[in-house]
Amino acid sequence: MDRPRLTFLSLLLTLVLAAACTAAPEATPPGSTDAESPTPSPAASTSAAPFPVELTDDAGRELTIAAEPMRIVSLAPSNTEIVCALDACDRLVGVTDFDDYPAEVADVPDVVIAASVDVELVVGAEPDLVLAAGNELTPTAVIEQLDGLGLPVLVLYPETLDEVYADIQLIGAALGRRPAAAELVTSMEARVADVVTAVEGAERPLTLYEVFHAEGTTYTAGEGSFLASLLELAGAIPLVGDAQGVIDAESLVAADPELILLGTASYDPSLAEPEAALETVRARAGWADLAAVRDAAVVPYLDDITTTRPGPRIVDGLEALARAIHPDRFE
Amino acid sequence: MSATTAVRRVTFGPSPGRTTLTLGLGAVLVVVAATAAVLAGTSGIGIGDAAAIVVHRLTGIGPVTWPSSAETIVWELRLPRVLAGMVVGAGLACAGAVFQALLRNPLADPYIIGPAAGASLGAVAALLLPVTLAGWLGLGLVQLLAFVGGLAAVAVVFTVARGRGGTPVVTLLLAGYAISSLLSAAVAVMIFNAGERLGAVISWLLGSLAGASWARVGFAAPLIIISFTLLLLRWRRLNALLLGEAQAAHIGLDVEREKRILVALAALATSAGVAISGTIGFVGLVVPHLVRLAAGPDHRLLLPASMLYGAALLVLADLGARMAGGIPVGVVTALIGAPFFLWLLRRSIAGGWVSR
Repeated sequence: MDRPRLTFLSLLLTLVLAAACTAAPEATPPGSTDAESPTPSPAASTSAAPFPVELTDDAGRELTIAAEPMRIVSLAPSNTEIVCALDACDRLVGVTDFDDYPAEVADVPDVVIAASVDVELVVGAEPDLVLAAGNELTPTAVIEQLDGLGLPVLVLYPETLDEVYADIQLIGAALGRRPAAAELVTSMEARVADVVTAVEGAERPLTLYEVFHAEGTTYTAGEGSFLASLLELAGAIPLVGDAQGVIDAESLVAADPELILLGTASYDPSLAEPEAALETVRARAGWADLAAVRDAAVVPYLDDITTTRPGPRIVDGLEALARAIHPDRFE
Repeated sequence: MSATTAVRRVTFGPSPGRTTLTLGLGAVLVVVAATAAVLAGTSGIGIGDAAAIVVHRLTGIGPVTWPSSAETIVWELRLPRVLAGMVVGAGLACAGAVFQALLRNPLADPYIIGPAAGASLGAVAALLLPVTLAGWLGLGLVQLLAFVGGLAAVAVVFTVARGRGGTPVVTLLLAGYAISSLLSAAVAVMIFNAGERLGAVISWLLGSLAGASWARVGFAAPLIIISFTLLLLRWRRLNALLLGEAQAAHIGLDVEREKRILVALAALATSAGVAISGTIGFVGLVVPHLVRLAAGPDHRLLLPASMLYGAALLVLADLGARMAGGIPVGVVTALIGAPFFLWLLRRSIAGGWVSR
């Protein structure tokens, strides 16, 4: 699980991640609990026999899976986590070098290295199902190449909690694990409902979630993005950037957030200590005058991975967000 | 080597011994590079199996002792990629040699008068258009628009630079620079608005052979081979242009007509290569110089040798890129090629056979 430290690749990754913050077509409306809304089910969930199963993925592509897949390649950590949560971790024959959960995937060979899919390794793993990611996280060119080689590819790109539930059920249908998927979704919905109840009626602070910061430009939750919808569910008013999540220093100062969650602290140990983090952001041009900095409401947020990875642990992320925003409600 | 031999080389061409050595070594390098690149890869296919797969696919001989995935990897992934590297490397190096002679500019590369910028605009536009073109010639819209964009950019540059009295080299260079800047600005605007397609746009612009397929090789190879053959047939005229346009005209060359033909042929090879690989730098600039340093400026030898060494360099660089976790091949061409080129340059200065 080595990560070559290639600057341009990390830049590329950052750009792609930034692009990933683009607006979701139908963000979860504020305040609505997902427990109440019907969960979209995979196309073939009504058929009795699990296989063959016809599925429609998040890219609108149709795929027929003839028999229970036993050799699965996952091209995104969120897909890996869903497969493992459905108790099919032992079927994984290829994952990414960013995969870190659950611990047993460390033993699965990497087929995505430094954000680049090694098609040769994917084919060599002899998969009977490839779980790709949408929104160019798995490049369209790679998906087309895998299609051309006759590999069954399912593209997943959830942009709301409802879509995470739908994707869990989609993978459940693809693996012949529908009951486990339904059970997982039900428990996630219940935990989300608990969070919503816990923060109900609390003061909602205007919150900047720092995804990335460089040279006076801050990346935060994009307008209408998944992250913005999670912040709302966790009892905050998200300070959003443009569709890419970019907010420039002037707009940030003008908006004057009351709370700053440093998601960057998850990756930068120098930000993990609250005092040091406060000093770091205070030194940025214009930040010293922000209400959040004056009130020392700058929180090193160490759960960025669960909060931004659209798998089963997204609920852990939501709970962590709610705790960070409303610690008094979780005492 | 004295000045007299340099003059003799231009007049009578390189000695048969040097020609054989240069081309022979180049051919050996291409074969070695291609063999290594087909046999080696990130998946654990044994070298013996990989070789047996190629032999089996070509001749039908031998029992199948490997999983079908190994055959897919060798035959559908590695081999087209190696062939794509060969034709693109050969085409770029050959086009570079022609542009350097035509523009009499040592910094000229195949992209100098617009094909890279035009192809980039075409490819990025295709990536951002919500249309997919299924399987015309097995190519995507991206490849087609890149090819057309590359040719169109050169045509525009040439038309703009053309005046009543012909197409002066300086005007051609400046027009190429201006049009390239304009097209690059358009690409930058599109990058800024690329949204979720940003990753796809950037990986195309970095240049890569990762998407190589038989269809793409089948598209680019004939175009590059035709362009190379026609360019090689004009080796005497290219040599004449080295003397300068006025001198070339004095010995009976229709310089303006020749320029049009040479630019069109070199642009064809470049655009065909760029269409299937994106803009890969360095090969087209440095390989012709490298060959010139080692074997002299006679185009009868320079063009075929540039093709061979260009092909070998790009195949080796792409092998390195694959093994290093998919870093852009243009980075590796520079990493491998630049030190070797500098060494050759130093050696040639010490030996006194750099003429200018």
